[in-house]
Amino acid sequence: MAGTALAPGKVRVKTSAKRGHRSRIALVNAVPVTLFLLVLFVYPIVGVLSLSLKGDSGGFTLHWYTDALSGANLSVLISTLRISAETAVLSLLVGFVLAHAIARMRPVFAALAMLIVVVPHFISALVRTYGWIIMLGEHGLINTLLTSIHAPGAPYSLLYNETGVVIGTTSVMLPYTVLVLQGVMRGVDGRLLAAAAGFGASRSTIFRRIYLPLVAPGIGTAGLLSFILCLGYYITPALMGGDKQTVVAALIDQQVMKQDQWNSAAAFGVILLLLTFAGLGVLGLAKLRRTKAHTRRSGS
Amino acid sequence: MPERTKLLAAALAPESTSLTGKSLSVTGLRKSYSGTTVVDGVDMEIAAGEFVTFLGSSGSGKTTTLMMLAGFTEPDSGTVSVDGRDITKLNPGKRDFGFVFQQYLLFPHMTVTENVAFPLQLRGVPKAEIRRRVGQTLEAAGLARFAGRKPRELSGGQQQRVALCRVLVYRPPIVLMDEPLGALDKKLRDQMQTEIKSIQRELGLTVVYVTHDQEEALVLSDRIAIMRDGRIEQFDTPRGLFERPRTPFVADFLGAANFLNGKVEEPTADGCTRVRLDTGGVLTARAHSCVPGQRVRAAVRPGKLRLVGVEEGCCSGTVETAVYVGSLTRITVRLDGAAPGTPPLRIETAHTPPRPGERVCVTAAREDVSVFDEMDGG
Repeated sequence: MAGTALAPGKVRVKTSAKRGHRSRIALVNAVPVTLFLLVLFVYPIVGVLSLSLKGDSGGFTLHWYTDALSGANLSVLISTLRISAETAVLSLLVGFVLAHAIARMRPVFAALAMLIVVVPHFISALVRTYGWIIMLGEHGLINTLLTSIHAPGAPYSLLYNETGVVIGTTSVMLPYTVLVLQGVMRGVDGRLLAAAAGFGASRSTIFRRIYLPLVAPGIGTAGLLSFILCLGYYITPALMGGDKQTVVAALIDQQVMKQDQWNSAAAFGVILLLLTFAGLGVLGLAKLRRTKAHTRRSGS
Repeated sequence: MPERTKLLAAALAPESTSLTGKSLSVTGLRKSYSGTTVVDGVDMEIAAGEFVTFLGSSGSGKTTTLMMLAGFTEPDSGTVSVDGRDITKLNPGKRDFGFVFQQYLLFPHMTVTENVAFPLQLRGVPKAEIRRRVGQTLEAAGLARFAGRKPRELSGGQQQRVALCRVLVYRPPIVLMDEPLGALDKKLRDQMQTEIKSIQRELGLTVVYVTHDQEEALVLSDRIAIMRDGRIEQFDTPRGLFERPRTPFVADFLGAANFLNGKVEEPTADGCTRVRLDTGGVLTARAHSCVPGQRVRAAVRPGKLRLVGVEEGCCSGTVETAVYVGSLTRITVRLDGAAPGTPPLRIETAHTPPRPGERVCVTAAREDVSVFDEMDGG
């Protein structure tokens, strides 16, 4: 009896000692990463933050933020947000159709299709963008084709405007949305859809009431992901957009490279960062709500 | 529990007095996958309000047959008809059957209420009516407390009850069930069996059920179709299967059987009944078509072999083991002259058992002996 009573205590002492030892080792392991992040991530961000809050004379000011959020700058910010939103929606639409098709393919073909979707992503963004410029120009492939079949209004202006930018950025974001959506779609139990059909549901009803709600979390993630990525995207809007399609990233570039205006650029950088955090926050909240529901059910 | 079941049945009962079940008839149903025949010519007539079970081991074709009845699998040939109407080409949703599966397949993003309301919404039932019927059904099934929960917040038994409600709420004339209780523990399974059976009887539903659990099949079914290699070995009442197995497989599959090889004796006044066993001794069997001198196998269930004092025709042997298992004793007996390697006779007796090594004589009542051609597999 005494032995059994003692044993758990002994064991506990042993494990806690072991745990302490282990956590010390873990700490040592974390040092390089921590250093890396401190030097290359935290320090620059703190630097940018302080730069954005520093007046010409060196004192604290919110001048750069009020400047960034007014007049022409504000319209740049708004058009960046609009382009990002349009890109998110378009890449979701195209990505959904693609991912849906891929999820239903046989594994071999699905892998091949995924490759075709992802490979352009590994090609230099510059090359890809020039590819689009060749395709979309007034005498490009698409307009030549549309003119030859006498499409009303052809040739269309598909370049150096918002349409061009959104087409370009959508093609960049597509692999992300397809990857995310396809993962979720693979996870949908086909038997649930069959069961719904068994109750007499039409295909559109099954899609609307069963399939769509089941892939909804993936749609949210994919949409937000491409929105966030698009916020800071630079090359495609710069090359495929006109004067009106200046995005925040391009503005930052201009201010640093041409105007030597680091403080204002820093303020814009912080604003973009905050917008990204806001997006991630929305994602995190949605996830939290799901896990909360999960703990509730496992608790009951 | 019975009270609740009655409630559930009452909640589900149709407003009109006519019972809901319809008859189902299957002819020449065949299905093969890439050259392998899975279902090989299934014919059966199921009456309205009948509870029929496909019983067989995995790979016997029972689930495939059910899926063809459901319309989820298209048969290579054969027809399925309901009340005389051919529905072979009809989509599952158009058949108006109810389906209950082992995996429940509740919609995870919908609450219990929404799940049960789903089939009614598809049928265009008015909202107020849906609310009333769903509420009533859940109340009767003891699920009212969980109405707002998601399926994953429920236990397995509760989920299966929701799945049943979701099907029964729209009163399908025919309900198909594929091992619906397979994922539940023994106690819960027994309880659900009782519920399913009473609801079926109360509503007069036609139920086609698939299971590999013999006991479950016996408890639930009016008739059982024993499946083997894509064919129905025998389609009969539980009693019929037990007492008049038509093949050695059926005799052995349900509750095990002793097989004794022998030769048919000359017919007596009431036909061909006597079998002279190779081990010596004679068994009197039910009348069967035969040729005197034909080699046959006689099958007798362990519980139907009797130990007797030496009398005419009994088979003598030596007790090998005797194991007391509660209500009865299991004995094995090696018959004199049994070929080496043949299994000993298995006998179950409620009387005072003999000791191992004791000499005994074994016989069986005529009604308990089935005779098969020796060529029949089993």
